[in-house]
Amino acid sequence: MIAAAERLRRNVGVEVGAALNLVGALVKYLSLAFLFPAALAVGYSEPVWPFLAAGAITAGAGYGLERAARGKERVGIREGFLVVALTWLFAAAAGALPYLLGDEPQLQSPINAYFESMSGFTTTGASVLPDVEGLSHSVAMWRQFTQWLGGMGIIVLALAVLPRLRVGGRQLMESELPGPELEPLAASIRDTARRLWTVYVALTGLEILALALLGWMGADDSMSLFEAVAHAFSTMPTGGFSTEARSIEAFGAATQWTIVVFMALAGSNFVLMYRALLRRNLRAYARDEEFRLYLGLLFLGAMAVLVELLHVGLYSGEEAVRNAVFQTTSIMTTTGFASVDFNEWTTVAPLSVMVLVALMFVGGSAASTGGSIKVVRHVLIGKILRRELDQTLHPDVVQPVRLNRIPVDERTVRAVIAFVLLYVGIFVGGAVLLVVEATRTGVDVTPFEAIAASATTLGNVGPALGFAGPIGSFEPFSDLSKVIMICLMWIGRLEILPVIVLFTRAYWRA
Amino acid sequence: MKIVVLGAGQVGATIVEALHSDHDVTVVDLDGARLQALSYRYDVSTVRGNGATRRVLQDAAIKRADLMIACTSRDEINLVAATLVKKLSEAQTIVRTSNPEYLEAWQERQIDVDFMVSSELETAHAVSRTIGVPAAKQTDVFADGQVQIVEFDVPRAGGSDNLTGVPLTEAAERAASRPLTGAYDEVVGLPLREAKVPADSKVASIIRADRMLVPRGEQSILPGDRIIVIGSPDAARAWSGIMARGERRVDDVVIFGAGATGLAIARVLLDQRIRVRLIEPLEERAREVAEELPAARVYCASGIDPDFIERERLGQARAAVFAMREDSKNLYAAMLAKVHGIGFTIGIVHEPVSVEVFERAGIDVAVNPRSVTAEEIVRFAHDPRIRQLAMLEGDRFEVLDITVRDSSKLVRTPFKELPMTGSLIGAIVRNGTAIFPHGDDRLEPGDRAIIFTESSRVAEVEKAL
Repeated sequence: MIAAAERLRRNVGVEVGAALNLVGALVKYLSLAFLFPAALAVGYSEPVWPFLAAGAITAGAGYGLERAARGKERVGIREGFLVVALTWLFAAAAGALPYLLGDEPQLQSPINAYFESMSGFTTTGASVLPDVEGLSHSVAMWRQFTQWLGGMGIIVLALAVLPRLRVGGRQLMESELPGPELEPLAASIRDTARRLWTVYVALTGLEILALALLGWMGADDSMSLFEAVAHAFSTMPTGGFSTEARSIEAFGAATQWTIVVFMALAGSNFVLMYRALLRRNLRAYARDEEFRLYLGLLFLGAMAVLVELLHVGLYSGEEAVRNAVFQTTSIMTTTGFASVDFNEWTTVAPLSVMVLVALMFVGGSAASTGGSIKVVRHVLIGKILRRELDQTLHPDVVQPVRLNRIPVDERTVRAVIAFVLLYVGIFVGGAVLLVVEATRTGVDVTPFEAIAASATTLGNVGPALGFAGPIGSFEPFSDLSKVIMICLMWIGRLEILPVIVLFTRAYWRA
Repeated sequence: MKIVVLGAGQVGATIVEALHSDHDVTVVDLDGARLQALSYRYDVSTVRGNGATRRVLQDAAIKRADLMIACTSRDEINLVAATLVKKLSEAQTIVRTSNPEYLEAWQERQIDVDFMVSSELETAHAVSRTIGVPAAKQTDVFADGQVQIVEFDVPRAGGSDNLTGVPLTEAAERAASRPLTGAYDEVVGLPLREAKVPADSKVASIIRADRMLVPRGEQSILPGDRIIVIGSPDAARAWSGIMARGERRVDDVVIFGAGATGLAIARVLLDQRIRVRLIEPLEERAREVAEELPAARVYCASGIDPDFIERERLGQARAAVFAMREDSKNLYAAMLAKVHGIGFTIGIVHEPVSVEVFERAGIDVAVNPRSVTAEEIVRFAHDPRIRQLAMLEGDRFEVLDITVRDSSKLVRTPFKELPMTGSLIGAIVRNGTAIFPHGDDRLEPGDRAIIFTESSRVAEVEKAL
């Protein structure tokens, strides 16, 4: 028995112990996050103990894990993937605790609670709640807060504030941060992480201020400070949870336009933003190929939707423009807010719905909080295709793919192709599984709705179509369907490769 | 003049040959046999040893030397030697380098050497001239290359402007003597105020025979002059077009071999807006070059594969340069290219004897990088006038880069009202962008002014600004 275990240990090429040790430490520190909703619960005289208990359990579990795998602190490239993948699974589990421990009737099923928590941390914003407004203030805010924590990355946050993680930090960060390549902002990975979080916190503060001002000045009566914070915590990480049942439709036009601006900012490259702010130089934006395509696609998408909305006469004037721009921005940046129940467009304006589902595959920019494939990969894929066409005519030509005039490594080029293929493959697989499961359990899901559900969870967007539309809920899906979608959210948030590599034999071999 | 030459290779030997009769030359080299060969042929003294050491330099009596030429094939040895010489004596230093980045650093005055010559760049310029596109010779750059100071030799009407020592075949000579047309006539020979000088540029100085003229409106550029121009990169290109005397430009060149020389040639030609295709057999090098030169098209192929030449229609190119490492391969590839229809072939040769072989075989021009380099160095060593120009730091002439003070009397005066003092404001760098001033523009405090002036007036100009 011991000999067998020893043989197994020698045959495994991954230091599982070291990875678990680090995961334990990360989870332990995550317990501090519960202090925020706990304080809120005190303020609103709501039950505090679910948060305190959740914090205690998380801290205890993390500490236990850390102690059990003590003495093996060396985390290399291989262990990094395991650390990132497991940390996100554990974080979602920790996040589900307050839902389960509290007496919230809508979230008593463990699968539902875990779905809601994973949807929060991965900034998907897909909800199983039939009645969002039935939540207590503190639970509602915890739900928003999980998105904010997950937006810029739990590990990136840990790198920025915790002292220990510095070794091997780059690789950990690269597997968590969106985009094919990490463009460093500072000499040390720790400073890069800090600067990214600084931009993130600053923008969130700015949005809270902007929204709260709208409320105070009377431009929008339904916007209280609580709502301002809750929605800023959801916009900046491109999450999509709202405290309102009708999402952003509950607010006025001024609020909706403000949120459009912040969604667009959240989906743009934070590294670029930091540089532009630091040097007071907006030319960097004009020159950035990804940013140009990002704006171009936002514009084209909004135009396509607007033309159809006007054509069928669903809205007119400013309302039409606002609904078109809001929906495209929200879906493309993978936020998932809605200013109108676009599920109702399916019959009257089907083209617009098609455009929105297509935009789910675009996503935000590299080093943004947006999910999905990311604009930069689309830029690169376009260039790779052009090069392939050229090389069929001129087989000997040597032509590096360039991004913003800088040659891109061939390894990165291959990684981009592999990513997109895997992304599409997993999306198709997810959609097929959802259709099969829906047929088996007799839940009414059309193939197109299954496609939307798979795309929305893998891309961390949020709303799907049908009963899971922007105003609806994912509750009617069967438990197995929810597990599939939890996996899709997890894989999508970590940009596929770090998760998929864990399922290869080569990863575990010595 | 007492001259110390470091390196007795091909370049060193050519230099010694040219200088030994008029000057007192000492040659330093590690290789005793080479030194002996030189000392049997010419009246020179020799020192054996590493020229980048103090002891050997002192043995060569560097203290009494007026000029030190470091022309070994190793850049770093040359640079170390020059650095030591700067400390050990008053001698001026010339350094040969093959690294364009060293050259750039020198142009921006970050390497303390009086003159630097790059074999690759000289070769590239020679190639550029033979295909009828005289490239601007950069002597100085400011503001990240937005302001360039370049010099040109104004070609003589009708006469061929061939490179000394590089034989031109009939084809090239015919190309050089086509009738003059176009902008050349509108610039050369006319008073400057009537001449159609390219926008964003100014003629900073005209050198005629031994005299340097500060250009005024009534003066004109004459054939045979050497002129110094300050202007934008585009203007430098326009000037180079003018100096090409309106000939039909070669607009499409294939370069075989993307080594350091091939790369330098490609760069110079691309700068002239010529379409360049590079052929390099080594995959890794091809990738490197492709990354470095986005504007060029790079093929990873052997230059002697007829299928490849056919497939890519290389025969339709106007000219081809053969810059591979082996002379024999260059010769073969050039012959093959001729078979496939390329009209004008230029071979880069490494052995002196190859020049004749290439010529006999019907290659249109052969360029020997070592002799081109040696010529440039000799020109510098011979002629104090050129030396001052190249350095732009001689007794008579300076380029000043001055930030305009708030309290200057000249601030906000339109340019046409500025006093005429024999100095010229060539360009202004404002907020990082270069401006080439016209009569109505004004100086603002904080501007960086790039000024040509006579040395005797430096203090005056500095005070005024």
